[in-house]
Amino acid sequence: MSSPAGGAGELFVVGLSWRTAPVAVRERLAFRDEEIPPALADLLASPDIDEAVILSTCNRVEIFGSTSPGGGPGARGISAAAQARSFLARSRGVAAEGLSDHLYERVDDDAIRHLFKVAAALDSMVVGESQILGQLKDAYGAAGRAQAIGAILGRSMEKAFQVAKRVRSETGISRGAANVSSVAVELARRVFDLMGKTVLVVGAGKMSALAARHLRVAGASSLIVTNRSPERAAELAAEFEGSARPWEDLPHLLAEADVVLSSTGATEPILVPRLVKAAMKARRWRPLVVVDIAVPRDADPAIGRIDGVYLFDIDDLERVVAENLKERQKEADAAMEIVEIEVGELRRWMRAQRVVPTIRSLREHFHQIAMGEAERCIGGLGAAAEQAEVQKAIRRMSELIANKLLHTPLSALKATEQVDVETMVEVTQRLFALGGPADAPGGPAGQAGQTSAEGAGPGAAVTAASSAPTSASAPASARASAAAPASAAAPASAAAAAPAKAVHSQGKKA
Amino acid sequence: MSETAVVTVAPSAAFYVSLILYAASALLFISAFVEAPRWMAPTARWALLAAFVAHGIDISWRGVLHVHPGTSVREALGLLSWVMVGGYLWWSRRFKLALLGAFVAPAALAILALARLSPSGEPMAGLSLLGRIHISLATLGVAVFTLATFVAGMYVLEERKLKRKEFDGVLYRRGAALESLDRLSHRLVVIGFPIFTAALMLGVVWGAQRAELLSRPEWWISLVTWVAFGGLIVARTTRGWRGRKAALLTITGFSASAAVLAIYLARRALGG
Repeated sequence: MSSPAGGAGELFVVGLSWRTAPVAVRERLAFRDEEIPPALADLLASPDIDEAVILSTCNRVEIFGSTSPGGGPGARGISAAAQARSFLARSRGVAAEGLSDHLYERVDDDAIRHLFKVAAALDSMVVGESQILGQLKDAYGAAGRAQAIGAILGRSMEKAFQVAKRVRSETGISRGAANVSSVAVELARRVFDLMGKTVLVVGAGKMSALAARHLRVAGASSLIVTNRSPERAAELAAEFEGSARPWEDLPHLLAEADVVLSSTGATEPILVPRLVKAAMKARRWRPLVVVDIAVPRDADPAIGRIDGVYLFDIDDLERVVAENLKERQKEADAAMEIVEIEVGELRRWMRAQRVVPTIRSLREHFHQIAMGEAERCIGGLGAAAEQAEVQKAIRRMSELIANKLLHTPLSALKATEQVDVETMVEVTQRLFALGGPADAPGGPAGQAGQTSAEGAGPGAAVTAASSAPTSASAPASARASAAAPASAAAPASAAAAAPAKAVHSQGKKA
Repeated sequence: MSETAVVTVAPSAAFYVSLILYAASALLFISAFVEAPRWMAPTARWALLAAFVAHGIDISWRGVLHVHPGTSVREALGLLSWVMVGGYLWWSRRFKLALLGAFVAPAALAILALARLSPSGEPMAGLSLLGRIHISLATLGVAVFTLATFVAGMYVLEERKLKRKEFDGVLYRRGAALESLDRLSHRLVVIGFPIFTAALMLGVVWGAQRAELLSRPEWWISLVTWVAFGGLIVARTTRGWRGRKAALLTITGFSASAAVLAIYLARRALGG
């Protein structure tokens, strides 16, 4: 380990998104799937970067990583971020100066918060969209396969997925259709339950095909397509297992269907009051939803005034989307509260990760002294200490003294605020002349398992256990298992994953 | 409450408990209507259920003490709100009726308050068994119509929002689908109609026994209710009348029956 302070690394993120960069810049930085493994290997070769995930979507390119352990507060994160920055410019063949306006970097808490916001689609162009979570999981999976995930990033990513799930279920951030093609479903549902309903597609445009697909998924049972050119109608009907019907049947079809999606290229209205009124009579005034996506419009606005006819044109659809996005934005505040709580939780875990090695070596140090003195005392007493009870009592007493003396400094270490961690750790190490191989994270595994569970508080061992190996996607364990001999001794300990990382990074730099 | 008449009994503790619970539920439903944390509407529903149970205990306790719900307008109104609330609770299991609670719960509270305030606590003099059955059935029928009308009212409000393309309101966001409201309202009318018909027929017989004049306005107004609901059922089956027209007719029919109730109340208050 390069730093005497020991302890775990910190999280950082470098990247750009739709907020900071136009598509012309984003597309130049984007990574293709097959480019990611070599890019990760390249990143891990940087001196301060210990773990990495590359997230590359059409709206963002970001590198999440964790720094090598040690360094002053934030210092490592900043230098690691700088390395990631130059990596980005180098690997994409872009001048670093050209990028600096678009790139942002966050370290530590800000990086955690950013990660959570990205996962929960709070930083997405369409707030609350569901794609980004899948993309992030894929990126995490790719990094896991490339052995680029260790304890810090693994834990952070798993936590981010949990946060995303929580935000989705506890707030209304994903409620309401967010694009025009799925709004038809939402509007039709205001009128009736789509189960068992019939959809009529008039004109086989791409937009109505999309909307029809959404309606089908939402429960509509049958689909009829009619078009001026029968070939295109048959094509679309085959795609959705619907039936194609001749254009001349339109008056009858209107009586059969419950939802009409219209997008013909006609210049004059096709759905005129006379036609629709006759259809309404034939359908005994069962409600009819007409979604007119065409421009110029296929439906005469007058049909919207017929009793039982609900007509929506493209402007209406866009207004619904706008309203929904406004609602989602309101829910984003509630979502941010959840994010903040979870950031605090992960921060506590990370802090515990940083003080654990020091706590462990401090304990070790005290107990060695206590035991040494106890043995000397027993030896010095000679015959007086022959009885087993006496020996036991002396050992026990020295043990108790050590524990009593340890109590206050250990409590102080555990309660250290984020900003003081590095200072506290360094002061402790200097005061007690700790250091050397035993206090590095890669110390003896048996001790690690025992002491970390105590040192990091009662919850830590359990939560740490759930961080990597139990996750569904579990790439976090990929790297942990690289250090199987160490972690096998204490698989459920908070520190177990840390040795794994240490072993790896030593191996990497050798 | 005075204990002058033998069969007049002061409300039980359960009645006051139900009043408080109705009020709490009404408050919760209304706040859920305005700005809804997710727990609010379900909590309101539980409060309403508790109020319903407490109110039921009060009604049965009075029954044990021989205060039949059909003996006075006051008792009848209590039964009316109880049946209405019960119906709401029953159907809200399957329909998205959280918004409707903001009307039903306050209505139940208002009806109960009205019943308590009405000076007609004493039972009618010389109330025959026929009269009791008439009053009970009429109450039951009107209770079902009241609920049907609330559902129809909801339909009219939601429908207007949708036709006017106002997509920002709570009615658009959290209302039930129009078709399901239409169906529920119709189902309630179909349930209420035979009950109301029977009450009307018994009322005619009872009135004839007491030699009441058929020129009394309540007879004719009741007939309006009957014709409205009967016509609605016929028009729906034969001509497919539904939606807005049906909802408006439901509201008309109910208004007539509410007018009859008001006349009874006034008559009793004036000692007629």
